[in-house]
Amino acid sequence: MLNATVISQILWTSLATSSYFVLFALAFALVLKVNKVFNFAQAGMMTCGFYAAYVAVRVVGLPGPAGFIAALAGGAAMAFVLERFGFSVLRHRKASPMFVFIFTLVASQFITYAMTMIFGTWPTTIFASMFWPVTLVADVAVSAWDIPAILATVAVLSGLWAFLRFTRYGQFMIAVADNADLAELYGIRKDRVLMVSMLIAGLICGVGMFLYGTRAQVQPAAATELMLFAVAATILGGIGNLWGAALAAVVLGVVQNSSILFIPSAWQGFLLYAFLFFAIVLFPSGFRLPERSKALKRTVAAPVIAADGKGG
Amino acid sequence: MDYVYTILILIGLFVILASSFDLVIGHCGLISIAHPIFYAIGAYVSAMLAKEGGMPIPLAMLAGGAAAFAASVLVALPSLRVSGDYLLIASIGFQLGLIEFAKHIHSIGGAGGLTNIPPFLVNTYGRVSYVLLVLAIALLTVLFVRWLTRGPYGRMMAAMRDDELAFSMLGRNAIWVKVSIFAIGSGIAGIAGGLYAHYFRFLEPDQFGLLQSSAILTMVVVGGMRTTLGPVIGAIVLQILPQAITFFGLPPSILGPLQGLMFSGLVLVFMFARPQGLLAAPDIWAGRDSKERRDG
Amino acid sequence: MTNRTMTGLSIGRRTALALVLLSATSGLALAQQASLKFGLAMPLTGGQALYGNDQVKAAQWAVDEINKAGGINGKKFEMVVLDTQADPQVGIQAVNRMISVDKTPVFITAWSGVVKAVAPIANDNKIVELSVGANAPDIAKLGDYVYTTFPLADVDIRAVAAYSAKEMGKKKAAVLFINNETGIGSAEVYRDTFTKSGGQVVAYEAYDQKATDFTGPLLKIRASNPEIIHLQGLVSESPQVIAQARQLGITVPITSYSGIYNPKLIEQLGAAAEGVIATSLAPGVEDSPAVKTYVERWVKEVGRPPNGLPYTQYLYDSPYLVAAVFASLDKKGTPITGENFRKEMLTIKTFDLPLTGKVTFADDHTVNKPVYLVEVKGGKWTGKAVVNK
Repeated sequence: MLNATVISQILWTSLATSSYFVLFALAFALVLKVNKVFNFAQAGMMTCGFYAAYVAVRVVGLPGPAGFIAALAGGAAMAFVLERFGFSVLRHRKASPMFVFIFTLVASQFITYAMTMIFGTWPTTIFASMFWPVTLVADVAVSAWDIPAILATVAVLSGLWAFLRFTRYGQFMIAVADNADLAELYGIRKDRVLMVSMLIAGLICGVGMFLYGTRAQVQPAAATELMLFAVAATILGGIGNLWGAALAAVVLGVVQNSSILFIPSAWQGFLLYAFLFFAIVLFPSGFRLPERSKALKRTVAAPVIAADGKGG
Repeated sequence: MDYVYTILILIGLFVILASSFDLVIGHCGLISIAHPIFYAIGAYVSAMLAKEGGMPIPLAMLAGGAAAFAASVLVALPSLRVSGDYLLIASIGFQLGLIEFAKHIHSIGGAGGLTNIPPFLVNTYGRVSYVLLVLAIALLTVLFVRWLTRGPYGRMMAAMRDDELAFSMLGRNAIWVKVSIFAIGSGIAGIAGGLYAHYFRFLEPDQFGLLQSSAILTMVVVGGMRTTLGPVIGAIVLQILPQAITFFGLPPSILGPLQGLMFSGLVLVFMFARPQGLLAAPDIWAGRDSKERRDG
Repeated sequence: MTNRTMTGLSIGRRTALALVLLSATSGLALAQQASLKFGLAMPLTGGQALYGNDQVKAAQWAVDEINKAGGINGKKFEMVVLDTQADPQVGIQAVNRMISVDKTPVFITAWSGVVKAVAPIANDNKIVELSVGANAPDIAKLGDYVYTTFPLADVDIRAVAAYSAKEMGKKKAAVLFINNETGIGSAEVYRDTFTKSGGQVVAYEAYDQKATDFTGPLLKIRASNPEIIHLQGLVSESPQVIAQARQLGITVPITSYSGIYNPKLIEQLGAAAEGVIATSLAPGVEDSPAVKTYVERWVKEVGRPPNGLPYTQYLYDSPYLVAAVFASLDKKGTPITGENFRKEMLTIKTFDLPLTGKVTFADDHTVNKPVYLVEVKGGKWTGKAVVNK
């Protein structure tokens, strides 16, 4: 069982399938970093991206590339709606982070139900066929889906990097992520920057769902499961670190898949939570809900000492 | 009548869950949506103790509550010592992980669920007695939460919510208050779990997932956070509405998603049009945050 | 435990009396309502709705046919449909509603979790629960009022395992199953039967319900070099599992159960679907002209064949079974209660139904049926064999 072919096959396929997880984690981490929101409504953006592509290809009968554009448009459109009518309204009302979080959770469910009304619960794929031909490379099966998926992911990663590094809006996004109030003092229009960040996340979700939906069946509730993986990767990869989240998604995917060599396959799914648990226990310096982070740093220090004194 | 009794019992159970959840998220300001997992722990522990251990059911239910209490301390203590918000992720991880774990344990029924849980009261005194028991415990829970939040403990929680720094400067131990409230709320949910298990006599890990979380959350938000009657009204409204819809005779393919759409839609409407819920607690959503902004 | 027994003893007599009174009154209520109604609790929403909705449609057609042909001794035959979402708790509520609001003496339901969860309600209220489609083997042991008209998992899985070992001459089989109740139970049945029939199970792998990639378990199976693979999954991921198996160069026949027997599989997998063998517990288009007409009706009215054709055949037939019992009770003038329904159903014992043939209720709450094996050949599902036990 443990020979070179098996190991390289597992590594290759899990690398290829981690492509969409990387994208979902990236979108989640971006919104968390810039918009300071745990955006569980990302599942809604993902669902919209998928069904936009589905309608374009399966219902209207457009060719694949048009379906890809549709997926991008679907993801971005939902991102726009969420930001324009949700987050921005709540922000101006100075709603608490908990309130915003609840909003994302409920919005995500609302979108799922709406999609169920429209499309039913049939699991379906973007193309009628979900079988991709394979080529053997040194005994490792490489499917026609693998290479484009990896290339698309690399393209998105480098595109985002270049955007953040070299464009004005990219720099604005980083400034807002660092200190939104300060950025505003310097004349950066925060609302617009946050909208751009959401739209980018929507586009990334569109790419990810197009990849996923051409390989596996999707139904309205599927995106939530996929997103939880992204949440775990984001937490593992370090909050506020986009590339860390992306890397964590790859590592998680590969480890989860290769775990089959050491543990019964039924337990593979559980591994994700085991990781999450260890991340929480071992890296407790980790994470704060943004927005309030400054206030909390201050407030938390004292009680920790107090707790040590009394409890220990 | 069984139908009405079952709905009354569900209402009672959700009043218990919503009130105890409001204690945690509303009154104490702890961000966690993992309430159903403590409900699950109570249900499974009680069911197993009664079914396999032959323990008298009331004792088993209390043990279920105690198990939920203990488990919640284990989750809350490490995460709250880091930061209040860490609890959210830690508890979601705990919730989903434990559900996944339970699916793999055959002795508690695994993913297929635990059946033939011994019944309580119903076979000897009839269903009404169980309805009365659940409603009585629901009433007790509401009164207990009210007493807790209006007394010295409540003032402590309010002070802590409003300004944690000042609170800890006074020498008060914020972590201790938080952990104990979280544990009390979770313990109550555990008892509700026992009540569920011995009436419905069937448990399944999946029923305690995120969907259940948002159902309870919805009840609290729609009813009105940090009020005594808010969660009660939320639980009643959100239990009765979906039942009522089934009487309209809509085509079934729309009925299911329509229910979900109505509930999530209802919450969205509330969040934007009446964020304080049906019953309003003063300054519920904006208070703390605007204060922090001024400080920061 | 002691506590319960004691209270049980001390008030036993009073309760018994109350129960008698209660059941007498509720029986009376049922008789007065004289409803020739039965309940149908199916997943109309949620992940399983694609099957549930088609099954409800089939049952509705049957009810309409029965009424068109004069109903039950001239009385209208009615069906009350409620959604279970294939979720036990929702199922419990639905059945409670059915029993107390619609007062049906009998209801039909499916999906193992729901069938099990509502069994105590059926037994406590003396209402007959007919499980049509769920196949977990322990359904036979749920209580006096729970019957199935559908053969349980051991029947078709046993048939496919024995057929693979004996008729196809396969010596080494691999089993791949989803880690849920039906998956685990059926995989065990397959393993035991295949071994008993002289074969050897060389790999026995489960995958998680949320898995999106199956490379690992499939490689383990490939390494064990089986001559045949049995896949026990759900409709949502099974096509992808087969696709990945073929991509990894696994070309041996793949058997499964009735779940994957639908036309969509071939559309999704193309040539990769060749050699996939499914079971069907009902006669197919080629076996019965009635089924042929039935499928043609689907294509004409809905524009496609039904999802899970055999299940819809059973659902189409179940109102006929209920109607036959109702008719017999009605003719005798016996009040139509759950208790009488059960007695009458067991007295009639054997029913001849339009789309699935004869069904006989055995004393151990099971039914036995021939198993039809179908195989994808030349891009079409074609009959392969009929296994009679």
